[in-house]
Amino acid sequence: MLSAVPYVEFAKKAFAREATYRMEVFTEVASLVLRVYLLRCLWTALYAQNAAPLNLPLHSMITYATIALLMSLILEVDGTRLIREKIRDGSIATDLMKPISVPLYFFSDGFGNTVLHAVLVIPSLLFALLLVHIDIPPPTTLAIFALSFAIGYFVNFFLNFVMNSIAFWTLETFAVQLIVRWVSDLLSGQIIPLTFVPGIFGRIVFALPFAAIYSTPLLIYVGIIPPSQWMNALIAQVLWLAGFGAISYVVWRAASRHVVVQGG
Amino acid sequence: MLATYLQYWRINFLTFLEYRANFVMWFVFTIVYHATAIAALFVTMRQFPTMNTWDFRQMLFLYALWMMGHEIHNAFFFNVINVPEFVREGRFDRFLVRPLDALFQVLTVPQQLFPDGLILAAITLTVATKIAGVTVDARYLIFVPLIAIGGALIDFGISLAIAAVSFWFIRVDTLRWVVISLEQDFTRYPISIYSRGVQVVLAFVLPFAFMNYFPATYFLQKADPGLHLNPSVGLLTPLVGLAWFGIAYVIWRIGVQHYQGTGS
Repeated sequence: MLSAVPYVEFAKKAFAREATYRMEVFTEVASLVLRVYLLRCLWTALYAQNAAPLNLPLHSMITYATIALLMSLILEVDGTRLIREKIRDGSIATDLMKPISVPLYFFSDGFGNTVLHAVLVIPSLLFALLLVHIDIPPPTTLAIFALSFAIGYFVNFFLNFVMNSIAFWTLETFAVQLIVRWVSDLLSGQIIPLTFVPGIFGRIVFALPFAAIYSTPLLIYVGIIPPSQWMNALIAQVLWLAGFGAISYVVWRAASRHVVVQGG
Repeated sequence: MLATYLQYWRINFLTFLEYRANFVMWFVFTIVYHATAIAALFVTMRQFPTMNTWDFRQMLFLYALWMMGHEIHNAFFFNVINVPEFVREGRFDRFLVRPLDALFQVLTVPQQLFPDGLILAAITLTVATKIAGVTVDARYLIFVPLIAIGGALIDFGISLAIAAVSFWFIRVDTLRWVVISLEQDFTRYPISIYSRGVQVVLAFVLPFAFMNYFPATYFLQKADPGLHLNPSVGLLTPLVGLAWFGIAYVIWRIGVQHYQGTGS
């Protein structure tokens, strides 16, 4: 059957490759620290001059925003960028001929990249703690948060996978991907908690898949989703996971039949 | 024969469509890029109506001023971000052997020149001016374009300095992206929310505050509780832009000398 060995190697290679970009690593951590500083100034000023929302005191808001930034270190890695690049330069055709599972190859490459960024979370977190105080919830909450985050990671992966696979048909997808990334950042609760979105729009954003990536784990973390609601929240995430997983499968099947190699 | 001709026509048509589609996609992205920032601002301010005496309409005006400078830069000076690629691919040498200034050549490389972002910025500024209740008198009509150009020069200085860095470190794409991203974030709010040290940096070191904050305090007739500068200092933006660009140009020249010296 399927040996895990080549895929572990792909992941290791990706990790090593991304780690050589020292400048990028440095700028990512520095940029995160600056953003933590910014969010502290922002929310402190806002809470000082306005009435606080009922279930989100200042320390929770700062915790929410900081954890969201740390999550983005891992989630913003475009694990499936390799697909787009390989379609661009045509090497996807030879890849499809090799005796490996190409989707699994992309996943392990993206995963290796992700693991590097996960490691970056540690120094980032330490620097962040110099600037702000982060609430630590009870261990069970933390565990459910981790689970929710993991599910969200896969929802994000499949979403990216589908976006990048569109490159099989239209070839120039970078702009589309950026549009989806920006819209999803806003609608996922990474920038502002979705609980701030008023009325009907609020109900809509919570119903979208993007909320499953950031908002659900974050709201579990800060306690806005109480233990009694955990099951429902996780199930909703898993449904999105299954949905996008299925779409990814269909898209991939169609795409690998339709390989259009973009000549030089 | 006819079949061949039809093939050529089909390919030309598809290429044209693809460029057209590409253009539309990037235009949509520009809209999304700014719309998500404004939407986040709107939702936040709806929850927290005042930030250091600024309300949403004034923050929109603040953003629109930044957007104007940024989009003018993107319309005219954007090409400079291609320098690292030229250097990497060895194409930069071509510019150096010609008798025209290298920077001028970089800027005038043929490219898509429809200023869609600029039009968007002008519309946003018009709307913001109306909503924020800014008086459109002679002073406004004379100074706002100058301030926008000053803002574009400040952005240009950043782009140029980073392009110069690519003469030493080949990969600067992430660096540039991070700097612009931080610029957009930090200029979104009145700088009075930051600590004094940061305010000084944003005013006198990396003069982002001159792109929009100081001009905004002038036109909105607000006091600056942070640095206690005379409000008219906002009108100095064009000069600040020129000075900052001057410094960046010196760095650029040093970079070019270095590049020629090492004979890459």
